[in-house]
Amino acid sequence: MALSRRLLPLLLRRVAPSISPARPLSTAAVTADAEDEEAVTIKGVRISGRPLYMDMQATTPVDPRVLDAMLPFYLSRYGNPHSRTHLYGWESDGAVEEARARVAALVGADPREIFFTSGATECNNIAVKGVMRFYRDRRRHVITTQTEHKCVLDSCRYLQQEGFEITYLPVRPDGLVDVAQLADSIRPDTGLVSVMAVNNEIGVVQPLEEIGRICREKGVPFHTDAAQALGKIPIDVNQMGIGLMSLSAHKIYGPKGVGALYLRRRPRIRVEPQMSGGGQERGIRSGTVPTPLVVGFGAACEIAAKEMDYDHRRATVLQQRLLDGIRGQVDDVVINGSMEHRYPGNLNLSFAYVEGESLLMGLKEVAVSSGSACTSASLEPSYVLRALGVEEDMAHTSIRFGIGRFTTEEEVDRAIELTVHQVKKLRDMSPLYEMAKAGINLKSIQWAQH
Amino acid sequence: MAAAAAAPTRAEVMSLFRSLLRTARQFSDYNIREYTRRRATDAFRENRALGDGADAAAAFADGKKQLEVAKRQAVVYALYAPKAKSIMEMKVQ
Repeated sequence: MALSRRLLPLLLRRVAPSISPARPLSTAAVTADAEDEEAVTIKGVRISGRPLYMDMQATTPVDPRVLDAMLPFYLSRYGNPHSRTHLYGWESDGAVEEARARVAALVGADPREIFFTSGATECNNIAVKGVMRFYRDRRRHVITTQTEHKCVLDSCRYLQQEGFEITYLPVRPDGLVDVAQLADSIRPDTGLVSVMAVNNEIGVVQPLEEIGRICREKGVPFHTDAAQALGKIPIDVNQMGIGLMSLSAHKIYGPKGVGALYLRRRPRIRVEPQMSGGGQERGIRSGTVPTPLVVGFGAACEIAAKEMDYDHRRATVLQQRLLDGIRGQVDDVVINGSMEHRYPGNLNLSFAYVEGESLLMGLKEVAVSSGSACTSASLEPSYVLRALGVEEDMAHTSIRFGIGRFTTEEEVDRAIELTVHQVKKLRDMSPLYEMAKAGINLKSIQWAQH
Repeated sequence: MAAAAAAPTRAEVMSLFRSLLRTARQFSDYNIREYTRRRATDAFRENRALGDGADAAAAFADGKKQLEVAKRQAVVYALYAPKAKSIMEMKVQ
């Protein structure tokens, strides 16, 4: 601490001559003393440094350009954007509307079709429950897929309890939905088709344009959860025939706690609001709009629009490097989900003959996950992989590598090295791997019954 | 903004590039530091062909704005830097 107290002003003087605090600026510096200089100990696990981060589907780091846009609204510009009687309100309102235009521009929408919410989960709830409740007299049926995010599936379950009928479409082994089957499932009383754009676990991109066309022909609103797609693949709500869309900021280097619902105006789609209150966001989502978060979301969208090509090229190169690196050194590695229709920032691999939990625990220096962060506490294999028809043992050993804007070549190389080392170590201990290498078909073994 | 319409000289461009790289080095965060350096290098390489028209002036003005953001954020990152470094900055044991 003594050392750092001497170092901090030095460092600051070098970076910005005007700032030199007489005492520590925050309590953060004090609480951080619990960490020693070289190692991090958290939840009983001792790690030599902060792990390299490859869990970009769970969340992304905030881009410094985003934080730079947000900070003024945490300092002097703290007005409530709904205050109509003074400058504080007007400047906040102006910033919110500017952000709305930026979000709209990224998806080819009109700013009046964008409604700020707390995130994609809230959007999915408003979309699925809200549409069905609004049109409940005529529309009693929802179509979705088995690989949707939990919040869509749970909203559907809730509707089921209220007496609505739900069709959970299966997906093909590559993770894509069968469009012909989807078209056949549409009934006269179908009120909503909900298919996610990019899957959070396997990164598969669904054929949005085709689904949108079918929905338009049959006159059914099409909702898509685009939390993982926004800013990563081009989205155009008109070209893709999207009626409702869920968006999230923290998946595109923006702040956590803000998202947006796209709601089509022509032809108009209406929803029953979930929140009663002051009638903000045209009554769709009452509650004070959080100006700093919304400004951050707008900045993240603007940067994403500018950087989409650059980021996409890099993700493609790094994904290939990761895949080649791992496959070149270990065999029996299976890619989950289509490689052709996939966002390159996602690589979901299964390692045969390896126990998944042991692999993840052994990879303490790489921040990865076996699938969705929401279900990472459970030992159950991913329901998404099960829907693809992945065998239980392979679904248990999946690892989702996420590549983002700030991932470096060196990180990918280190991740390869650590993963290969761990997989080889676990396989050396595994009798199953030995038997498989000896040519024994593991499926034919009659395990003793107890 | 209109004042910045004149195309930058080669010396001005090189100076901006060097300033960006210098500021990139000041980021305490491994990933942000690497990204800022990489992004600046790639952008200058891509924009080399712009010549001295209005496009070059616009790219230069944008670069100057990015430099201001990077300078501010390097300070913010330094203020709240975690003590433990990224494992990428540590020697392999």
